Amino acid sequence: MPATDYQGSSAPFASIGRSILSIRRDHVHSMETNHEATSLELELDSFQKQVTERFHELSSVTGEDLLSLSWIRRLLDAFLCCQEEFRAILFNNKTLISKSPLDRLIAEFFERSVKALDVCNAIRDGIEQIRQWQKHLDIVLVALDPHQRMLGEGQFRRAKKALTDLAIGMLDEKDSGSVLQHRNRSFGRNNTTKDHRPPGHFRSLSWSVSRSWSAAKQLQAIGNNLAAPRGNEITATNGLAVPVYTMSSILLFVMWALVAAIPCQDRGLQTHFSIPRQFTWAAPILSLHERIVDESKRRDRRNANGLLKEIHLIEKSARHMTELADSVHFPLTEERESEVRGGVKELGQVCEAMKDGLDPLERQVREVFHRIVRSRTEGLDCLGRPNHPE
Amino acid sequence: MAENGEDKLIAVARHIAKTLGRTETMTDDILQIFSTFDGRFSREKMSDKIDEEDPRSYAVLEHTLKSLDRQISQYVSADQPIWSDLNESAAFLDAIDELLATIRDWDPIAGEKPIAAFLDRADDLLQQAMFRLEDEFRWLIERSGEAFDLNRLYENKTEAAGNFSFDSEDDEDGDVNEDGEDRIPVAHPISDYDIVIDALPSGTISDLHEIAKRMVAAGFEKECAHVYSSCRRDFLEESISRLGLQRLSIEEVQKMAWSELEDEIERWIKGANVALRILFPSERRICDRIFFGLSSAADLSFMEVCRGSTIQLLNFADAVAIGSRSPERLFKILDVFETLRDLMPEFEAVFSDQYCAVLRNEAATIWKRLGEAIRGIFMELENLIRRDPAKAAVPGGGLHPITRYVMNYLRAACGSRQTLEQVFEDNGPDYRNPDGTDRPLSSSSLSVQITWIMELLESNLEAKSKMYRDTALSSVFLMNNGRYIVQKVKDSELASLLGDDWIRKHTGKVRQCHVNYQRSSWSKVLAVLKLDSNSLAPNTASKVLKEKLKVFTQYFDEICRSQSTWVVADEQLRMELRISVAGNLSPAYRNFLGRFQNVPELGKHADKYIKYSVEDIEARVNELFQGSSGSVGGRK
Repeated sequence: MPATDYQGSSAPFASIGRSILSIRRDHVHSMETNHEATSLELELDSFQKQVTERFHELSSVTGEDLLSLSWIRRLLDAFLCCQEEFRAILFNNKTLISKSPLDRLIAEFFERSVKALDVCNAIRDGIEQIRQWQKHLDIVLVALDPHQRMLGEGQFRRAKKALTDLAIGMLDEKDSGSVLQHRNRSFGRNNTTKDHRPPGHFRSLSWSVSRSWSAAKQLQAIGNNLAAPRGNEITATNGLAVPVYTMSSILLFVMWALVAAIPCQDRGLQTHFSIPRQFTWAAPILSLHERIVDESKRRDRRNANGLLKEIHLIEKSARHMTELADSVHFPLTEERESEVRGGVKELGQVCEAMKDGLDPLERQVREVFHRIVRSRTEGLDCLGRPNHPE
Repeated sequence: MAENGEDKLIAVARHIAKTLGRTETMTDDILQIFSTFDGRFSREKMSDKIDEEDPRSYAVLEHTLKSLDRQISQYVSADQPIWSDLNESAAFLDAIDELLATIRDWDPIAGEKPIAAFLDRADDLLQQAMFRLEDEFRWLIERSGEAFDLNRLYENKTEAAGNFSFDSEDDEDGDVNEDGEDRIPVAHPISDYDIVIDALPSGTISDLHEIAKRMVAAGFEKECAHVYSSCRRDFLEESISRLGLQRLSIEEVQKMAWSELEDEIERWIKGANVALRILFPSERRICDRIFFGLSSAADLSFMEVCRGSTIQLLNFADAVAIGSRSPERLFKILDVFETLRDLMPEFEAVFSDQYCAVLRNEAATIWKRLGEAIRGIFMELENLIRRDPAKAAVPGGGLHPITRYVMNYLRAACGSRQTLEQVFEDNGPDYRNPDGTDRPLSSSSLSVQITWIMELLESNLEAKSKMYRDTALSSVFLMNNGRYIVQKVKDSELASLLGDDWIRKHTGKVRQCHVNYQRSSWSKVLAVLKLDSNSLAPNTASKVLKEKLKVFTQYFDEICRSQSTWVVADEQLRMELRISVAGNLSPAYRNFLGRFQNVPELGKHADKYIKYSVEDIEARVNELFQGSSGSVGGRK
């Protein structure tokens, strides 16, 4: 039982909200007052506490680290843990799962989770896109490598070209077509190539979903009709409606946060979260939601194609380098040169951090995908065989 | 001789220049004078020698650079692609080689300020040349980058045997047959993917290799790899879309009507084969040749080229695996499973390097997931059987639709027996051993699975047999269905999966049903015909026998009336039943009639009492089990 390690720790927020036990008792009037908690109730209660604890920890992040690669990875870790515990709850209560109305609630949850799979795939594409940007940055780093003999015009031109490519790559898909049309070659290509391709053809990445796919709509679909279970539903499901709702909300929030952070097709953050405050994990999730929305409204981030901190750093660093490259005169003054070297060093650090973080993030997103599939498969098996002797 | 003389002359001139020139600028000036004085004293010739003797003569460097600058600038600003002219491109590459060599030679002494300034200029020049090379590289790829078109490939297949280039075929569509009478332009079956294509003409590939070599040498490897992979990726993706494959999200696949999805799966199977067997290996070859000797660039570029298309292909298979588990989908999903299984060696071969490991693993994961999906479908089949409600009994105790459905389903499924064996392997499937040859077939997980399904079907049918109020009819129902099951098992792969014991046991069960039927239907009738000493006592015999005959006739009529509407679909079974009924009934009745006629007061008027002769009885029995409509074996 995961509950044991929880009880050992002194959780300061255990008192913040009412536990699932008390929520249940409110609805079950007929229960005796000296009601002894069943193991199921303890299990459900522990799940609520675990979820709450995890999201409190996530929400204690500083403004600096919110939406950073490492935070996103912690978020996904939290999701995987919750998912695992949820899976265990379903497994331990197989016999209850196929009874109405729980069967319907769980089927709905699986519907939502399948929709989340597409988000995971889109995020994987997004991570690949960031890698493409990184390629341009790598060129800048090679061009302006501080270890080389000297920084001349050629090197700057090379770096500037890479920075321009980066800027084009970072533009939203919808704007990029027109920009790319203006991109010139050193020789006229119209009379030499049969250019039958549509504008935007030279995009830096192809999405693995269709062009009409929309992350915003997908989030909307995941959140569709997601409502806290009513009292009679909780009673009728022996309380299991609560973890189903909890997991659905976590799923929606985590997918929403991924879409907020990572570039993907038609991002949109309008998803509403209306979680009743009596759920102890509502507060940290709602506060994180609010902070991320605020971040998206900041002037310098409003048009960002991903709120990931590292993307912001790339943008800042690349902008700085572009300004520097545009303003240098040759021969370089010593002051300028050290400024450039400083900029390159900073850019190098940003790239390094990104490089180190993206691979594990991609693996983790994939893991989330696999776990969702596995838990759904198991769940469908349970729903399928009601009285199958185990 | 002449050359030797010229050498001497140059050596002298060089000596003069060196001795007179106290500073390097002066030496340079003298050389300049010499070079305008006589063509033999060209800067290049002089500089070689000076370089050897006095590496510090940066005047030579300047001289070289000036000349290279002149040449390269001219190329860099050319309006037409340099590679549209063979000589031009060769000269451009030579100039770049010289520039690279110059930089390499002078780099060790770049610490000296004037040299550094020259090298800076050289770098600048190199960078311009590289930009131009990058554009030329892209132009060369795109020029011949007509996307792969399967239809065209098959039209041209006879020509494609060894060398299929997209470079020159644009206007050749019509002349497929021109160069050979013996070539028959038929639509080739799609199953043959043993085709090698050259998506780029050989000449272009070596041009690209030459450019790549220079770009890597100049430290522009990343730019080169980037242009390469973005161009080839576009080519691949267009080729994939020409195969009719769309990019579909998992949700889109889930929402698709099954018939539509079936078509999509068909296209996918073809597309995946073309991609893994033709397109990717062809990309691998192009990539290896263009980046020959530059392997780190090659592997990464190749991965980048194939990644998107591979993920698109795998995502679709994944979406199919995650989709509905409705049993009707089994066969198409088996197709997808088998396709991916058969392509695993290609995945391993074409994606063997470290960068592609991800793609390899993804393929294996998704293939396993398809196996899970198939197991899920069997589970769903179990559920369908288990939950099939005993609502309305089949009229006449005939074959139940579920029996027909399940048996035909399993028979069809066993058409893919080896694949299913693999799917039901306990420790997960392994594509390296698709036959599962190293385990005894009878004990395979698949046979356990099938036995289990048969058990479910039987208990479902038993529940249904309880619907009949007449126990004899209930036996007929079980007999009919049991017989059908055994027969479907016997003449298919199911026989070896379920084993002889199973068949023996179930044949026995059918026989038992027969016995039960006989007992519950006819024992009452036969009992009436039984004669004990009591019934033959002279004083009561007439009355008793008359009564018995009356009861017999009444029972017999009743049974015939109802059982003529009963159904025995299997003709042989029907005959067996009739024969066994008649076999029991006729002798007993004949015996009875004999006794009857032997009683004096009955014998005289026997015809008055006896409604049926033995032959009549047999004729009536032969009319049993014809179904309500009278049509034999009719089933709605």
